[in-house]
Amino acid sequence: MTKGNLSRRQLLKTTAAAGAVGTFFGPWKHNRVYAAASDKPIKIGITSDASGQYANSGASDRRGMHMAIAEYNAKGGVLGRKIESTHIDTETTPATGSRVAERMINREEAGFLIGAVSSGVANAISQVAQKNGVIYFNTNSSSPTESGKNCHRVKFVWDGNGTNFAKAAVKNSIDRFGDQWTLLTNDYVWGHNTAAATRSLLEQYGGTVVDEILVPQGTRDFSSALLNIQQAGPDVVAAAIGGDDQKAMRQQVAQLGMGDSPAWINNQQDWPDVYGLPLDNLFGVFGTTWYYKLALPGVDDFVKRYQAMYPDTKMRVPGNVFYNGYMAMSNMLAAIERAGTTNNIAVIKELEGHKMSAKDRMQHDDAWIDPATHQVQQTIYLATANTGSEDKDDMFKILNNVSPQDVSDTNAGGSCQLESYDDTPTFDA
Amino acid sequence: MTLLLPHIFNGLTLGLLFALIALGFTLIVGVMEVINLAHGSLFGLGAYFALTIIGAGWLSDTTFGVWWLSLPIAPRYILALILGPIFAGLAGMVLELALRRTYGKVPLYGLLLTFGAALVIEELIRLGWGTGEQFLQLPQSINGAVLIGGLIFSKYKLFAAGFSMLAIAAVWVFLEKTPYGAIIKAGAHDSEMVRALGFDLARLRLLVFGLGAGLAGLAGVIMVPIWGLRPHVGVDVVIPAFLIIALGGVGSFWGSVTAAILVGLSVGITGAYAPAWSMMSMYILLILVVGFRTRGLFGKKSALEN
Repeated sequence: MTKGNLSRRQLLKTTAAAGAVGTFFGPWKHNRVYAAASDKPIKIGITSDASGQYANSGASDRRGMHMAIAEYNAKGGVLGRKIESTHIDTETTPATGSRVAERMINREEAGFLIGAVSSGVANAISQVAQKNGVIYFNTNSSSPTESGKNCHRVKFVWDGNGTNFAKAAVKNSIDRFGDQWTLLTNDYVWGHNTAAATRSLLEQYGGTVVDEILVPQGTRDFSSALLNIQQAGPDVVAAAIGGDDQKAMRQQVAQLGMGDSPAWINNQQDWPDVYGLPLDNLFGVFGTTWYYKLALPGVDDFVKRYQAMYPDTKMRVPGNVFYNGYMAMSNMLAAIERAGTTNNIAVIKELEGHKMSAKDRMQHDDAWIDPATHQVQQTIYLATANTGSEDKDDMFKILNNVSPQDVSDTNAGGSCQLESYDDTPTFDA
Repeated sequence: MTLLLPHIFNGLTLGLLFALIALGFTLIVGVMEVINLAHGSLFGLGAYFALTIIGAGWLSDTTFGVWWLSLPIAPRYILALILGPIFAGLAGMVLELALRRTYGKVPLYGLLLTFGAALVIEELIRLGWGTGEQFLQLPQSINGAVLIGGLIFSKYKLFAAGFSMLAIAAVWVFLEKTPYGAIIKAGAHDSEMVRALGFDLARLRLLVFGLGAGLAGLAGVIMVPIWGLRPHVGVDVVIPAFLIIALGGVGSFWGSVTAAILVGLSVGITGAYAPAWSMMSMYILLILVVGFRTRGLFGKKSALEN
């Protein structure tokens, strides 16, 4: 046979082989099976921001996930299979989030997706994930819509949401500071929903919204907004400003000395957004889901493991974003292990209603995944700047902890319509 | 009720800051007809150099570092304000050397090269200074608040606006009243003639690019106490700078300054009455102006059109 000619037998063999490979790898539709019951690593697609407004938080989120993966791999993986991860930058942009999710599923063959800080990005990713039946963990975005009207059967939300934080803060703050409030709101999904939750609670507890100032994403100069606040003279400013916008705002409020008057309620304060900044930038009361100085079992050991794994990072102690990334990833892997399979529906059922002890969560209360909304119900902490500490890392003073029952987002159940299991494509990763 | 006057004042100060941001970009585009997409990264680089100078950086544990940090913040800040832009200018000169191979070719090459340089500089910043938020210390005399007309204004922002006026005046004097400025402008107008007269055009371009990069670095040192400092801080700079040049007219110094003040006023006043539109207002302003006058407010016929 001369080189380049193809015999009939070879053609048949090649066609048969191609058919076999094609059957094995796809196309990805309902009931895909491409690596089940094999020793092929379980591939996890990390969909977090490495650029844009939440780049820094995205890096912290990833560090948490990587530590969880490293710990599981050190134990031999899950179901005898190693865990592999691949990351693509979602650029804090919803359109990129969709593209990344498509690529993760269809080209990288990721069996699970995890990661988000921006709610817009998380929503975009989860739509693609639901279409393909791929389980997606939203680690750090906290718009109430994520477990409300934008909920999905495949999506699980690990952070406290705007309503949880508002519930923890609003009543207490009306009693303490006054009932005339201005809302300072980032003009995108998380800001709007958080402000709506605050407004609703404020009305419920007898407060009044005197003004709502919408701040476009990417704002670096808050002087107009701060002049408006001065002119309106509210008792409290409830700020739902995130990421780099929030950093610029904090700096400018501190420069004006407006941190104490009016009182400021910052819905949630992500650790990467303030770590290393002077304490006068950390004014007002804010919420968080975790702090590295909580006097609870396991916290010190967790901090040591972080420092051992990331000795060179400038963030010497882990914060809430790292914690959420770690907790979400380790619970994803634990759910696969409990399910004894990587079948998505089996893993989803394993997660729904799953209870996590306070000890395992390193929080004050037991937590659980609400089967109706897929949001983790957990302790919410209220904090302020810790001006009395010599330790530069010890920036937060925890004021109190509120139980999951007291901060529950009761509206989410009504607006969340999870797709049925039958409407969710099933496959083994 | 929202009073207009404080917002007009605020818009003017904001406009002066925008002018400072656009100054280096204007110079490089106007004189060299190179769109420097690394302008924002050089802005960040200047600020990070200043951060290192104030905090002694890697020398902080040495005897010199300990002595340096024992000094009050004011002299350290002043030195940072001088050296930060100089280092950014030197980085700009290195970039210009790399750019030389793109001269006389399709403008896209220069664009791509400066875009690549922007990414490289940002990554170098991440490697050198980390990914987290940083904070540039300020002398107490220019920090804090000042009461004007019963409203609180930032003392530092007023200082920054005043400093911007000085920088604008200094660049104008340099370009209009010194022989170096005359040569630079002549080089932009007719480079062959300048070369024929015995001036080293390559050195001239190096100087202009270094000056433009230095001005970007200066804007960085001045602006980050307001905006905050992070590796991608420069991303916020390029679009307003580009918009201001297009609005003012490519190559027009006073066109850029006027455009920057108009942008500041538009953002400031919109921020008072329709804050959700404050960022959008600058783009609407651009559309309105360019819709009627494609060369911008003070734009002349570009050399590219000859």
